[in-house]
Amino acid sequence: MMKNIRGRGKGAQLRAPTITLFQWWLAVLAVVMVLGAGAGLVVFAKGLVVTNLTDLVPWGLWITLDLSSIAMSAGAFLLCAAVYLLGLKEFQPVARTATFVGLIGYSMAMLCLLLDIGRPDRFWHAWVFWNPHSVLWEVTMCITLYFTVLVLETAPIVGQAGWMQRRWPRLAQTLVSVHHYAPVFAVIGLGLSLLHQSSLGATYGVLKARPIWSRPDLSVLFIASAMAGGPSLVVFVSMLTARLTRQAHIKDELLEKLSLFIGWVLVGYLYFRFWDAFSMTYTYLPGRTEGLTLLTSGELAFNFWVGEILLGAAIPIILLLTARLRRIPLLRMIALALVVGGVVAYRWDTNLVGQLVMLTYLPQEIAARYTDYVPSLIEFLSGAGIVAYGLLAFTLGARYLNIVDHRAVPEAEHEARLAAAAGD
Amino acid sequence: MTKVFSGRNPVSPRNGVSEASSKEKVGRRSFLKALAAAVTAAAALRLSQRATKASEPVGSSPHKWAMVIDQGKCVGCGYCTLACRAHNDAPPSISWNKVIPAGKVGNREVFLPRPCQHCEHAPCVEVCMVGASYHRADGIVMMDYDKCIGCRYCEVACPYGARAFNWEAFTGPNPVVPMWGEPEVERRPRGVPEKCSFCYQRIDRGLALGLKPGVDPEATPACVVACPMKARAFGDLNDPESEVSRLLAAHSSYRLREDLGTAPRVYYLPARQEVSG
Repeated sequence: MMKNIRGRGKGAQLRAPTITLFQWWLAVLAVVMVLGAGAGLVVFAKGLVVTNLTDLVPWGLWITLDLSSIAMSAGAFLLCAAVYLLGLKEFQPVARTATFVGLIGYSMAMLCLLLDIGRPDRFWHAWVFWNPHSVLWEVTMCITLYFTVLVLETAPIVGQAGWMQRRWPRLAQTLVSVHHYAPVFAVIGLGLSLLHQSSLGATYGVLKARPIWSRPDLSVLFIASAMAGGPSLVVFVSMLTARLTRQAHIKDELLEKLSLFIGWVLVGYLYFRFWDAFSMTYTYLPGRTEGLTLLTSGELAFNFWVGEILLGAAIPIILLLTARLRRIPLLRMIALALVVGGVVAYRWDTNLVGQLVMLTYLPQEIAARYTDYVPSLIEFLSGAGIVAYGLLAFTLGARYLNIVDHRAVPEAEHEARLAAAAGD
Repeated sequence: MTKVFSGRNPVSPRNGVSEASSKEKVGRRSFLKALAAAVTAAAALRLSQRATKASEPVGSSPHKWAMVIDQGKCVGCGYCTLACRAHNDAPPSISWNKVIPAGKVGNREVFLPRPCQHCEHAPCVEVCMVGASYHRADGIVMMDYDKCIGCRYCEVACPYGARAFNWEAFTGPNPVVPMWGEPEVERRPRGVPEKCSFCYQRIDRGLALGLKPGVDPEATPACVVACPMKARAFGDLNDPESEVSRLLAAHSSYRLREDLGTAPRVYYLPARQEVSG
């Protein structure tokens, strides 16, 4: 289908159908964003009573979207580390895409949090009042600092844009010069991201009140799944963009190598998942055993077996680690999309399972009680609005900032300029 | 706006504010506080006075408040819930102090009244990112409703379900507040969780007036005063002569989910087969 679109554009030499497709896409995004903004205003005006959240399930759809957005940003730190710390220079253009995706992901996460907190007018309290004992304090610091790093890492991308250099050459030059510090940002970004991705797992893992969450390995599973999901999204959107617009240029061998890497990360992730789940089946622990049952044969079983394990890990592992299958672009794209879906499903299940099972505190019976949660329409609409914002930001980036362009070698350009400057 | 029980209240009745305790020295954590103040910008400096309403080392106060609830005496009438709601102006949908049916002993129905457990190792205090949940030196787990951003991490962290979130604003008159009285604390805004505070406002005012919490009703939590069965006792664990100390010395007691290591300050005397009148 994607090939069709491309083929038609080439064959007929008509710009009109392409433009229409683009405009349609923008129109759909605009509608969803307007609906989302409206829903968001309702939330701010009426408060969280418009959600289906309760005192038993106080964290729902928005938190899942927040966790997923952060996980999907993991490509940025991985690729920047690969390029600037491991010296895999050929991946530099992919790192550009990943950085931009990361910036979008982090901004989406912050929008989710703004919706989710009961007092959005006090969001700045998170920076002013500190409780360093809290995992969420550390999460706040990581979000803030890493978002700053991502902005700095994206500055050269904006500076390199043709329209930027024509219109504001001075500013563009300044922005491009920030690239000089890319290795420093890569080190800082690596540290902050490892901390942040893991501590989101630890946010749940440290809670003794919820035995299914209270496992130290949640932090490992969060970083491992993010290391698979983040790059998957980057490779997927790169391939998709290259099929939808002639403005994007990809080097398929780079994306293929990266996909192989993702396949192996998934193997490691599945390995951890297996022992994590297997160890929980041994002794009966009130709350934890019920939670595991909920995942494996209860309400969340379809999400777990099909969404997380089969489609989210097992099938992508086969598709990405078998060279013959991986080289078929469509199959590779399907595999990568499945990985993204699997990571989102994992975040959703993890967040929900600890809240759907609640332990009683009556001394004679520490027993599990069950509750339910289905997001309200307002939650869905505002969440969809945030996703639409992310898609729009990427679309505009691909069109006006050449986010997906594997021909550009800014590294060489920059070095040449430095050499020229040194020569003067 | 601020509602005061009587005109002679010498203690600031704002939620979470205790002028007396905020001036006391803080220990190891003060270093981190100093660091925070140094790093944050002008806005932070302007607000740093408010930031001092933070956890204090538990035990640095001469008092150690605790509650003892005798399940053998509780008949589940719910007066405590209503008294609590009226004194603390909680909305009808929220109970700081729930009375939960807890099965039978012999032919007698047994209940479990559940206020905030005021844990010595309180998960809510540990997890609160802005320090809006904090310990007073006397062990009371407080909420600074002006600081809270409403993330609800405390709610998922509390093993006792002691916290209730204000999903919507509570407006209009409180149906349980009688014509002749007024709530003692300010009503909480929309978007923050609220919980039992051991009626800290009654304790602080009582102490300032030279009264003894647990002995003088004016200085004792409303639920303890309202209980018609005298099933609740309140007092100072540091005072061996207090009623709570004597009850705990004379009877076997238990606390909720002791396996979690939260060390609650609410003790229960279990109901027994033969209940003396």
